[in-house]
Amino acid sequence: MRLLIANRSVRPYLLLLAIIVALWTLDQGRGRFFTAATAFSVLQQLATIGPIALGLGLSMIIREFDLSVGGMMSLAGCIAVLTGGRYPELGVAFAVLFGFAWGIFQGAVMVWLRLGSIGVTLGGLLTLGGLAYVVTGNLSISYPRMDVAMAVNHPLLQIFSPRSLITLAAFLVAAFFLARTRVGRDIYATGSDRRAAMVAGVRTNLIIPGVFACSGMLAALCGSLLSYGLAAASGVALTDALVPATAAAIIGGVSLTGGKGTPIGIVGGVLVLGLLSAGLEAIGTPPAVQDVVTGGVLFLVAIADAIDLDSRLFAIRRFWAEVFRRTAGPGQNIASRIN
Amino acid sequence: MSEQALSDPWRLPLPHSTRGRALVGIRLVAVLALVAVAVTTPGFFTTVSLFSLLNTMSFVGCVAVGMTFITLSGNVMSFALGVTLSTSGIIFIAALPLGLVGAMLAAFAFGAALTGIQGFVIGYFRANPIIVSMAALALITGCATLITQGHGVYPQGSAAAALQGRVFGVPMPLFAFIVTVAVAQIVLSFTWFGRNLYMVGSNWRAALAAGLEPARIVLGAYIAAGLCTALAGMLMAARYSSGDLELGIGYDYHAISAVLVGGTAISGGEGSAIRSMVGAFIIAVCQVLLLLHGFSTQVQYLAIGIIVLFVIMLQTLVDA
Repeated sequence: MRLLIANRSVRPYLLLLAIIVALWTLDQGRGRFFTAATAFSVLQQLATIGPIALGLGLSMIIREFDLSVGGMMSLAGCIAVLTGGRYPELGVAFAVLFGFAWGIFQGAVMVWLRLGSIGVTLGGLLTLGGLAYVVTGNLSISYPRMDVAMAVNHPLLQIFSPRSLITLAAFLVAAFFLARTRVGRDIYATGSDRRAAMVAGVRTNLIIPGVFACSGMLAALCGSLLSYGLAAASGVALTDALVPATAAAIIGGVSLTGGKGTPIGIVGGVLVLGLLSAGLEAIGTPPAVQDVVTGGVLFLVAIADAIDLDSRLFAIRRFWAEVFRRTAGPGQNIASRIN
Repeated sequence: MSEQALSDPWRLPLPHSTRGRALVGIRLVAVLALVAVAVTTPGFFTTVSLFSLLNTMSFVGCVAVGMTFITLSGNVMSFALGVTLSTSGIIFIAALPLGLVGAMLAAFAFGAALTGIQGFVIGYFRANPIIVSMAALALITGCATLITQGHGVYPQGSAAAALQGRVFGVPMPLFAFIVTVAVAQIVLSFTWFGRNLYMVGSNWRAALAAGLEPARIVLGAYIAAGLCTALAGMLMAARYSSGDLELGIGYDYHAISAVLVGGTAISGGEGSAIRSMVGAFIIAVCQVLLLLHGFSTQVQYLAIGIIVLFVIMLQTLVDA
């Protein structure tokens, strides 16, 4: 049991279990939450946030951070909608190819110019956002293929859709690569201690562009499928995914200090957020409550993961122990004398 | 020989390394090119376009000066300044029945409290600044939407009109911006807090070893950022005669763009408030030039993005 809790990737699933139990007690057998419709909507949310969370999580595992995913998501949606009119697959392929190329570019800039990822991807985010505005002419462009829009979100086996199945497949592939291949081990090594990894022969200069290419491709895949499903793309609508995706990755056990976390854990993190919002919606709370919950969880996790938390808590405990000893000390002495 | 070079008053204050000199060269060429384009653009030097340029620059500029404190302290940027701007504008409008001074104090206190809490967590526990600011963005947006029900707030009475007037012939936003830059630069250059902020930003551990309390400095930097942002919020709320959550959308990105274009190092410890003012000015000039040459708003966004990306890539030349 102790081993189970110590495993970071199991924690989101324990949290998931706790939420299910809480919803079940709240529901008291009225069947508001545990329906196929809830499962479908949670999995749809997995398809919307999951790939972004996976890409961000991968970049956090190598101790970097990809801020550009939001911009990539909206631009990829625009590319797919503009080029996929006749062959939808071709539109997705163009978008993913662009995501790959942009990720390689960002990673190469970081490696060659020795720059931090936050700065480079911030520039990337602003550039991609600007490109999305230029491509769409600051308007919402519609996608003429309603058949594709219906097919992408069509329920399969009651709870899945092509979009969520593709997302789950991406997670499985990532989990396999990270757990079972040399590349995966090198990624963890790069994140745990970059210099030690370099000395040990890991080609970190290839790992970094590779991870950012993956992150770019995942964001592009997610954005293009989402835009197909909405039958529209625009420069603004899709940039709000960054905060929930970050929260999902962190709840899923990815550490900000690098080298920790698994794709399976990230799935758990996304499911926790999805079930939480589905539950809140079913109870009838306004959507802003979800913002508060996501923000609150992210805030608490940021504190729990903070570098100096332990030493500060230790100092506080010592301070109060001292206060307690000074005030209660003589009394104790008297008590012991009486005895 | 080097002593002679140091004592020579006519020596230009150039960096010693080739990379540093290359950086100065590139910056000079870029500014000269911008000036050349501006001079050859008909209609740029009319008073109307210049005044509208300076006016729109003031709002972003105030936030950028606030962001400068955060960037200098080594914490890169905050995603929550835009929403801090909107909410302090709402507080200002809602508190106007207390009188202008009371409303301004309320908005300043509110803005400083919002960023101060983040600064406390980031300074004392050393939590990740990016994550904390994202959490703050979601929390503040959610709470504000719940409280205002998504509606704007409109002022009662005309006390806010005082922030729309002119001081010595200068529009109020521009005047407030210039005062903000001056105060911020004096704080950064001539006070104990400013000196230590640079030290904490360039090397946290060295600052700790030197006996400073870096946590307090970081807290101070965030409070300063909150005050500057609250000022921008008040000016915007007064200008549009309403407080609304939409007011500050995108301002965090505009502000960090101005800070970086001005040449403040994204890794912290190097830069100034005046540089951020220059950065905001350069971005505004670029926008006006693109507009006068008939480019659309979308192209302006793209141009700013590319400029920021380029400027960040140039930072590899900064002497580390």
